[in-house]
Amino acid sequence: MKNFFAIFFSIFFIGFSSSLSAVESKDPIKLTLHDWTGQLITTNIMAEVLKKAGYNVELVPADYIAQFAGLQTGDLHVAMEMWETTGRDAIDEYTADGRVVNVGSTGMDAIEEWWYPTYMKEKCPGLPNWEALNDCAEAFATPETSPKGRYLGGPVTWGGFDDERVEALNLDWEVIHAGTDAALFAELESAYQRKAPIMLWVYAPHWAPSKYSGEFVDFPPYTTECYTDPSWGINKNSAYDCGKPRGPIWKVASSMLKDKWPGAYDAVEAFTLDSNEMGNLVASVDLDGNTVEAVVADWMSSNEGRWSTWIK
Amino acid sequence: MISNIQNNKKITFFLLFIITFILYFYGKEIASYFDAKWIIKYPKHYIFPISKYTSLFVKWLMDEATFGIFSFRDLTRFIAWLIQQPYNLILALISKGFLQGQGQDAVEILPPLSWISVITIIVSMALYTKDKILVALVAFAFFYLVIFGQWESSMVTLSSIIIAVPVGVIIGLILGILSYKSEILERIISPILDLMQTVPVFAYLVPILVMFGFGPVSALIATIIYSMPPMVRTTLLALKSIDPQIKECGLMSGCTERQLLWKVLVPVSKPTLMVGVNQVIMLSLNMVIIASMIGAGGLGYDVLASLRRLNIGVGFETGVAIVVLAIALDRLSQAFVNIPARKRKKNISFFKKNFNIITLFIFIIVIYLLSPFLPLIKNFPENLVFNTSLFWEELVKYININYYDNLESFKVTLLTYFMLPIKRFFLGIPWPWFITILTITGWYFGKLRLAFLCLVLSLFIVVTGLWEKAMITLYLCGSSVLIASMIGIPLGVWAGVNARANKALTVFIDTLQTLPSFVYLIPVVMLFRVGDFTAMLAVILYALAPAVRYTAHGIKNINNQIVEAALICGCSPRQLLFKIKLPLALPEILLGINQTIMLALSMLVITALVGTRDLGQEVYIALTKADIGRGLVSGLCVAFISIIADRIIKSGSNKLKDKYGMI
Amino acid sequence: MKKNPKLICKNVWKLFGNNPKDFLLKHNNNPSDDTIKKEGYIQAIRDASVEVFENEILVIMGLSGSGKSTLVRCMSRLVEPTIGEIFFEDINMGEISKKELIEIRRHKMGMVFQHFALFPHRTVIENIAFPLEVQGIGRNEREKSAMEIIELVGLEGRENYFPKELSGGQQQRVGIGRSLAVKPELWFLDEPFSALDPLIRKEMQNEFLRIQSALKKTIIFITHDFDEAIRLADRIIIMNEGKIVQIGSPEDLIMKPADEYVKEFTEDLPRERLLSVKSIMTKDQNSKYDVTVYENEKVFKIVEKVLTNGIVRVIDNNNKTVGSIDKETVSRFLYN
Ligand SMILES: Nc1ncnc2c1ncn2[C@@H]1O[C@H](COP(=O)(O)OP(=O)(O)OP(=O)(O)O)[C@@H](O)[C@H]1O
Ligand SMILES: [Mg+2]
Repeated sequence: MKNFFAIFFSIFFIGFSSSLSAVESKDPIKLTLHDWTGQLITTNIMAEVLKKAGYNVELVPADYIAQFAGLQTGDLHVAMEMWETTGRDAIDEYTADGRVVNVGSTGMDAIEEWWYPTYMKEKCPGLPNWEALNDCAEAFATPETSPKGRYLGGPVTWGGFDDERVEALNLDWEVIHAGTDAALFAELESAYQRKAPIMLWVYAPHWAPSKYSGEFVDFPPYTTECYTDPSWGINKNSAYDCGKPRGPIWKVASSMLKDKWPGAYDAVEAFTLDSNEMGNLVASVDLDGNTVEAVVADWMSSNEGRWSTWIK
Repeated sequence: MISNIQNNKKITFFLLFIITFILYFYGKEIASYFDAKWIIKYPKHYIFPISKYTSLFVKWLMDEATFGIFSFRDLTRFIAWLIQQPYNLILALISKGFLQGQGQDAVEILPPLSWISVITIIVSMALYTKDKILVALVAFAFFYLVIFGQWESSMVTLSSIIIAVPVGVIIGLILGILSYKSEILERIISPILDLMQTVPVFAYLVPILVMFGFGPVSALIATIIYSMPPMVRTTLLALKSIDPQIKECGLMSGCTERQLLWKVLVPVSKPTLMVGVNQVIMLSLNMVIIASMIGAGGLGYDVLASLRRLNIGVGFETGVAIVVLAIALDRLSQAFVNIPARKRKKNISFFKKNFNIITLFIFIIVIYLLSPFLPLIKNFPENLVFNTSLFWEELVKYININYYDNLESFKVTLLTYFMLPIKRFFLGIPWPWFITILTITGWYFGKLRLAFLCLVLSLFIVVTGLWEKAMITLYLCGSSVLIASMIGIPLGVWAGVNARANKALTVFIDTLQTLPSFVYLIPVVMLFRVGDFTAMLAVILYALAPAVRYTAHGIKNINNQIVEAALICGCSPRQLLFKIKLPLALPEILLGINQTIMLALSMLVITALVGTRDLGQEVYIALTKADIGRGLVSGLCVAFISIIADRIIKSGSNKLKDKYGMI
Repeated sequence: MKKNPKLICKNVWKLFGNNPKDFLLKHNNNPSDDTIKKEGYIQAIRDASVEVFENEILVIMGLSGSGKSTLVRCMSRLVEPTIGEIFFEDINMGEISKKELIEIRRHKMGMVFQHFALFPHRTVIENIAFPLEVQGIGRNEREKSAMEIIELVGLEGRENYFPKELSGGQQQRVGIGRSLAVKPELWFLDEPFSALDPLIRKEMQNEFLRIQSALKKTIIFITHDFDEAIRLADRIIIMNEGKIVQIGSPEDLIMKPADEYVKEFTEDLPRERLLSVKSIMTKDQNSKYDVTVYENEKVFKIVEKVLTNGIVRVIDNNNKTVGSIDKETVSRFLYN
């Protein structure tokens, strides 16, 4: 009798469920929508593909982190973009007991790095080479940080080891953490309007690198040893003397997906896009002003060969 | 003798102050001299792992707790299901239409009410109150929603309000009545209400999601938790302040207990109860942003999404939609209760009596039947939709380009001469001394009980290892509250002496309180960059309201005879204000400052979004890391700070009132 | 004529404070005033015993805080006496159940309050019909009875007004009407007219006497105002610090005050206007003087007659001679 209510509900709902077709269940599979264009595109593509396979799909706006509670309980089923960099803790926390599963990489890699607008190149011609950072630290300074350069890092929750990086590479810079990415890009927008100096954490795929012209700083490339072994790299006594890793973007799902809609699970697992492709799609929406639906429909018609293999 | 005591008091205060300053300046030296670093920083290995246990407990509750035949989660899911049903009905009626089937297979059986019908219904309700200004206001508000293309989202939001407000009001009323009847219950409920009001919503978002499922219902429940406490409080207050003669009269008329309650006590206290309803509506609309993060959709989601895309204009328009919705609903509900009672007419037929309602009904049915044929009815034509977002964007851009430097120097001045000293002060005082001071203050105002409360609550903050963050919280709130009071009290005085100013300020303040802070947070970041200053500005804007309101109320409510007496004594208006009105309004002003502090603290979590390093950030981090225990514990710390502040200020205010014989 | 007691109070005490019952028990149910004060109790009623007779108007007087309201509330059991017994028509009010109490209140008691205690959300007629409404009487029937009452208290035409649309006097008429709606046998009035100005008060007193002469109820009436008391009372109770210091007719109180407190109470009164001839005449069934006065006439009305005639004969309502009164008696009465 433990599941008294569950039984009660199922009786209640049987009345509503229509005839079962080829797919395992006609109950809607819930995919979460977040608030950046790339994610909307990936999720909509996945949704369209699942529909083609005959599944019922529902798109639910949800918070990037808060959605995990829903995935865990089976209220939500698929989240299409979980970035290694920003979602690692949540993934670890919730996949631990198996109720949320990592369905593998989307095939896209996130780039995250120090970034500056092109107009700053005049004041600091040495860029994008990181060794130029110290020479023009002052050009990037604000009253609070002067004479050090000001680097606007991501929210502390994103990690990123920027404080350690500044130390290890002996940079005359101060790291200020924004609280959210909204704040991060609000500052960028503001500085860009005034053509004022700014150096900040930008990630891609995102609309910002397409809206604003600018470049990522070239740090010594990341390796695993760089983060773990102090003796690696330029600074022999310190780790983190290199750039940031380029982490994959994961797909995660509720374990319910595999149990209830195994075919859909396979389709989600098979889904891949690559970063360039995504960059173009995002630009088409954010810069050319097309709607997400139109861009996705376009993609669907020109890539039938690809997605049809996902739902085999 | 008396002056002696007063002198002693003064000397004691002076001494405490000196010690505090010495400790603030030389705390580090003293600590290193005694080799007792713990004075400055509470040692890590003594930190109590309370958050870990909390996490474990919540996990157990969710996954294992059962009541025999059904588990805890079955219960919560059942409650969610119960709330879901009326919500779905309303949502279908005004927003989504009645659907059969699921997902893309769904077919619409019946369309939702047209925007024309909804506006007609609402405006008719306003007409019913016979208040012309209200009719204009309501019509304006809902046409705003249509013309600015916010209709669909606002109907989603309205659906959740239509459910959350009555549920909150009814539960609040029942709890209020129960605690009126049982003093024991009152004692139990009161601190729980404190926590409900002061623990930041982010702190319990995850447990709620787990319990009630991801979706609008969880959002509804979070909204109800947050908005209900004032209803309980006002109910209790209203019942307690009923003239005992009225109650006796009910008894002497031979009322049973139930009759006494529903025929006498509740109706008599209706005006006060409505203040509670007003609070529930306002607070519910305050929650729309956070609710949208857990699947409520609607206007909140639009604000959030547009601002994350830096679409300031759209964010602003949507924010204003929330404001007009809030103000319209509030004024409408107030007016509905105060409908001038009409003399009953006898002997008129049912049809005549309900003529208006029947006409309205027919109108709606006609519109409904027409809607499949006329697209105008179904959706407001898109080409008529107004769009001012470009204007707002350009405005911010203009200010940004032309005035950034001025703003920057203003900010730097304020930072160096005002905020940083306060920050250094709070961070510099060793925690044992701070707790001592708190306890002494508690003792001074409220004797043993309050002293004990201060001691225990502040010790909790220490042993959870969150002392430093708590101090940053204090500094941020402290400086915001200082400035908010400096702005709010004069405004309140102005509103108190000038009726017209009062009217204008009321609208202004309602706007500030319901405009989602996110809307102005992003432009403020653009103009002032991330950091404490920006956070402070956001907090000030949000927390200003009670300072104004309570001050105005205090000034207005001074006994007119006292004012006349002062005038006869030859007071100039200035003297009247400073020598009579302000001192007499002081207890009320203190309560206003108290509320300002509460609001400032409740705003903390939002300020974490612009990079502060206080308890708000701790809560936010816990949310992003899905650490239930950490979230709850740091949420509790925020709550405890506000409870300490609340109790001390309230006892202070009561002491003053007592002195003036105003109780 | 044997008088039937309608309501009896036997040794009623009421103390406010912590656990007053135990406290009383500890002191043999008879603590001194000082002990009570010292232990932090408030003595609202101290050992009050009184019988209220059928159809009489019993007025309770005393300074503010002397326990008048509390005594009345003990009688109606709005307040539970600490110890002591109260019998209403031989029913021990302390022993009946809640339900029985409600029944008694619904049919046998009515109460008027100093500050009217009208329900602001109900019209005049709804206020007056309220006691009937809670009994579950249907709308038409109760409004019919209420209309009768409205006529009785002189509020015709205002039945659909709300309390705040009425003057103070009118409001108290509603309060009186409401308390009469159930046709109570025992009628409590707690300073019903003290919130009204003197002219209206006078008018209301007349009104009250008119109603009482029509209805003949047993009435317990609290007032501060001795004039009022004397106009209305059959008997008066004087209370002081919770104690009943004297019960008696108005004449008794003036002529034979039990103590200084009562004396002070009555001292400044215009006695010639309050007392009747009966209370100062010399009893003498055989006097033969021609000029007559009635024994119930107030003294001030006969002063002239006595002074011009030297001495007059006193007769009762049946023109039977009961005594005489002379110049000396009158002047002694007037000037000391
Ligand atoms: N609920 C209560 N709690 C404590 N003390 C009370 C309470 N009710 C009455 N008292 C006290 O009992 C005493 C008698 O009060 P009561 O109201 O009976 O006086 P009263 O003679 O009616 O005065 P007034 O003429 O002002 O109405 C007063 O000292 C009063 O303070
Ligand atoms: Mg009284």
